[in-house]
Amino acid sequence: MIRKLYRLWPDHGILLRLGALHAILAVLQGLLLGLLVPILRALLQIEPDFQAAAPWLIAGTIGLIAYWILTIIATPVGFSASMDLAAGLRHHLMNYVSTLPLGWFTDTNKARLARAVTADSGNVAHLAVVIGAPAIVSMLVPLTIIGVVWLIDWRVALVFLVIIPIALITLRRAGRIASESDIELEEAAAEIAGRAIELGQAQTVLRAAGQGRSGSARMREALDEHRASYRRGLRRSMIPDLTYTAVVLGGFVGILALTVQQLLSGSLTFTDTLVVLVLAVRFLEPLGNLIELIGALRAMENAVVRIQSILDTPTLPMAVNASNALNQASIEFEDVTFSYGGTPALRNVSFQCRPGSTTALVGPSGSGKTTVIRLIARFFDTDTGNVRVGGIDVRKLDPAVLLNDIAIVFQEVYLFDSTIEENLRLARPDASREQLERAACAARLDEVIERLPEGWNTRVGEGGSRLSGGERQRVSIARAFLKQSRIVLIDEAASALDPENERAVSEAIGRLARDRGRTVIVIAHRPATLAAADQVIALEAGKVAEAGRPMELRQTNGIFARLYSQYERARNWHIARHSDQNT
Amino acid sequence: MGNNHAHSHHETDVTPDISEGGKEHLAKSDALWRLLRPVRIKLLFCAILSALGAAAGFAPYIAVAEIARNMLGSQEVDGNTIWMWVIIGAIGACLRLLLVFASSRLGHYADAELLHDVRVRIVSKLGVLPLGWFRDSGSGAIKKRMTNDLEEMHQLIAHALGELVGAGVAMIVGFTYLLMIDWQMSLITMAVLLVMVVCYRIAMRSVTTHMSRLLAAEGRISAASVEYADGISVVKTFGTGGRIMQRFAAAVKEHTHAMLDWVTETKYSSAASRLFSSEMTVLGVVMIAGLALVAADKLTMANLLPFLIIGVGLPTSIMPAIQGGQGIRKGRVAASNIEELLNRTALMEPDQPKKPVGHKVELDQVSFSYDGVAQAVDEVSAVCNPGTVTALVGPSGAGKTTLASLLPRFYEVTGGSIRIGEVDVRDMSSDRLLSSMSLVFQDVVLLRDTVTENIRIGRPQASEEEVREAAKAAHIHHVIEALPEGYNTVLGSGSGGLSGGEKQRLTIARAILSKAPIVLLDEATASLDPDGETAVQAALAELSAGKTVIVIAHRLHTIRNADQILVLDQGKLAEKGTHNELLARKGLYSRMWAAQQKGESE
Repeated sequence: MIRKLYRLWPDHGILLRLGALHAILAVLQGLLLGLLVPILRALLQIEPDFQAAAPWLIAGTIGLIAYWILTIIATPVGFSASMDLAAGLRHHLMNYVSTLPLGWFTDTNKARLARAVTADSGNVAHLAVVIGAPAIVSMLVPLTIIGVVWLIDWRVALVFLVIIPIALITLRRAGRIASESDIELEEAAAEIAGRAIELGQAQTVLRAAGQGRSGSARMREALDEHRASYRRGLRRSMIPDLTYTAVVLGGFVGILALTVQQLLSGSLTFTDTLVVLVLAVRFLEPLGNLIELIGALRAMENAVVRIQSILDTPTLPMAVNASNALNQASIEFEDVTFSYGGTPALRNVSFQCRPGSTTALVGPSGSGKTTVIRLIARFFDTDTGNVRVGGIDVRKLDPAVLLNDIAIVFQEVYLFDSTIEENLRLARPDASREQLERAACAARLDEVIERLPEGWNTRVGEGGSRLSGGERQRVSIARAFLKQSRIVLIDEAASALDPENERAVSEAIGRLARDRGRTVIVIAHRPATLAAADQVIALEAGKVAEAGRPMELRQTNGIFARLYSQYERARNWHIARHSDQNT
Repeated sequence: MGNNHAHSHHETDVTPDISEGGKEHLAKSDALWRLLRPVRIKLLFCAILSALGAAAGFAPYIAVAEIARNMLGSQEVDGNTIWMWVIIGAIGACLRLLLVFASSRLGHYADAELLHDVRVRIVSKLGVLPLGWFRDSGSGAIKKRMTNDLEEMHQLIAHALGELVGAGVAMIVGFTYLLMIDWQMSLITMAVLLVMVVCYRIAMRSVTTHMSRLLAAEGRISAASVEYADGISVVKTFGTGGRIMQRFAAAVKEHTHAMLDWVTETKYSSAASRLFSSEMTVLGVVMIAGLALVAADKLTMANLLPFLIIGVGLPTSIMPAIQGGQGIRKGRVAASNIEELLNRTALMEPDQPKKPVGHKVELDQVSFSYDGVAQAVDEVSAVCNPGTVTALVGPSGAGKTTLASLLPRFYEVTGGSIRIGEVDVRDMSSDRLLSSMSLVFQDVVLLRDTVTENIRIGRPQASEEEVREAAKAAHIHHVIEALPEGYNTVLGSGSGGLSGGEKQRLTIARAILSKAPIVLLDEATASLDPDGETAVQAALAELSAGKTVIVIAHRLHTIRNADQILVLDQGKLAEKGTHNELLARKGLYSRMWAAQQKGESE
């Protein structure tokens, strides 16, 4: 556990200081209790001997004052440690994930990250301090007391000493089972959370199926499973928990019996008997508390494991002598094969894009178009084969240089919750007003801005929710213009935009493509975009099925010709009565 | 169990627990009590056992103290009496072990049962809420009620209650015993504890303010990290992550500052409460005061010993009582959140539901307003006959989608009425109403379940064969066959591997299977995925055949052949007719048509 905590925080200083402080406090606590021995020996007589007790009493007073001072110091140190730990961990996590390949950022991983950065970081830091301290105390006070008792009677001390390992062994077992049950219960709770979301989204479907009031069968299963695993956990932890408490209490009874027996047999004076009994009570109490701490410790451990698993994600390997400049903007795939884990998404794909050319990628959904774009931007590394940009293998390029020369227009455009201007400036923080306006104009974003109440200063809402999909895509295209990167990768919106947006977006994409200074690769869905391309690469099931100039390919009876006419037909689709279907 | 053990450590601790729940608003105290109804008996026994356990727990301590008093009181050591006390102590210890253990178990079992009970109640409540509620509140709210809010109550039910009662009893028994021995020393011991409680109260005085500030800061940290991750591709490709990271850094900083302010403000009181709750302090005070009294002959050493044994342990045993307040506060807030949901007005169900005759849809002077001021739909009347296609068109914001969502009673009309087969939709049971129509909108809802079950939910009693037939009719059968486990592939677990258009066709298969006579359709659906577009369109044609079809249209050429077109403008029915009739009128429709034709040809 301590080792795991150590791994989380590269700066051990604060943990060490805090640990040391509490260790001192614990030992001091034990020694203060130990002072009871000479004090009570002197005083527990028919005529209390204050004279003999005086030096010990003074020592005790001094010790108590020291203890107070240390406690007062420890309080703020603990607070600031907890804050520093949390803040440090949060920054560490965010900095780390910023070096991860883009492919890592799936919905699941994003949820994991959010949890790690907020609740887990906070809890770990909080618990490391508020649980760590009493845990140290609970361990060290009993040990110190044993030392003191040893001085009085080694046999009794031996009983004390035997209790500790037995207690720790049972505690370990209780802790392990608690941890397993915790994980199981958490999974059950996560399942309920997922089903709860589904319950909201699928409410109409469920009601139409007459399952409105009962929820789906899976929902009911999830609820039952949660209760069952809760009960299972309780059942499993029953014996270990009971054993631990029994060990501690049994220890107490044992000490009590042994001491009394020693007293009655005359080998312990009655003063020492009393002192030992007083110490026995103080010895067992912190030990008994450990079982209450163990749950929290395990919860902390689980949080630590969750954080660590993110920090253990491998980053994209960096070349030692990475090239830090691109001479030209060509793109080349050479025998590229790549899979997301199952069947390959791309198989032996090879093609070339000359600098300044426009390439359209077409193919049925799932044919690997998006993967091509992802590999160029190095969201992932290929399994075999090479992706070259500017003639250099992307793995040998400094990632910053690569991304500096690429602008991507995604199908689903994500905007940050700030103003339009801020979102545009991301592409180029030092852009002048004129540059901003030129980019907006080229992307036909200017008319959107004009219409908005606060123009450039309009806040776009979380994820850009206050703009429509087409408007968001226009922002994204404007970014590409503003960035003036030599390579632009576009995933043309497949879903229906309203007519006005559709026109604006395809016009803006056309402008990007026409500029001879840019190498453009576009996943195209619209006949106009296809027609404007210098070359078309048709993918099917991860392989290049056809490649060539669009006009030539239309003449053949290949996949491109088929898709092209399908696109045309789709645009002329109309809903009608059954009688005049198949038109 | 659970993750909320942070409070069970036994030292006064005012470190703000960041898992602290929700903003404190005036929680109705009885909400909690009502929610606990099914487990009240269990909780009562939990409390009783905890009380008995706490009382029994004093036996060993009292035994030690009595042995000491016995030995100091007389020079003659009375072996029998001492052994008697040893046995009493041992029995007390065992009893305590069993009783406290049983109490804690009972509390946890009650928790397990309550979680289940309340969740079942929430699920069935959701089943009768107006559908509009789901659109407005979002699924996140449901998730919060069913998980986070309930977990907030865990601490209270499984821990706080038993601990609170136990601590109370421990205090009463402990002090009663001490009072019997020496009242002066008892008062002194009590004074230390009182000072501790006062300091703790002072330290926690501003907990609400600080906690909400901390929570807000934490919310910002969370938002910034999610935002960063969501926008990571933008951040990376534009190489300007720094700006976004600043927002994260600022949130972290604000969190630290909030904490720091709190700590600074409560520096003295929290240090003091820590000091006075320390066993060492109590020990020191008891020793000093006790020895002074002994020196003054007001107290015997024998009577000082119980204070050393029991008095010193008291802060530890009453701490839960002081900290338990937090658990109760959290539990109350959560309980009132949950009750708020359980008390929401359900969709009005007719006492005597009527059965529709046929499937003619009639809109009779239908009006609807979201806010009671602006009319989103304004006195629209129309008749949609079975076997015909009705198109809803109009500029964005004209009320097309709103009008369509009144049919399945997502929202209740605020004026006029909607009739299906001569029966007002409000006079039909909502199950019947919903099963009479297929809703094919852009947002595809798949259940995390097998393909078969996802289609079968359209008609739960359908056979395997019928499910396949529906899939074939929706042009999705071959896609399903190609999935790793065919019809048994579990969808929605991230590996489903269906494209947007394919998911769309799956829901169309579901609709086909349901054989609902009314089809509500968003035209944009048909062109969601151009690659599979033709297949989706063919599937839709299959679905619509012979039904009462109502389609929300964006691209006018898709509905040229509709039997009637309702042109909406600002909620009002501006025009009505066939494509050719409307073109001839040269009104809004013909202007929209002209504009779109121009756009297409560009």
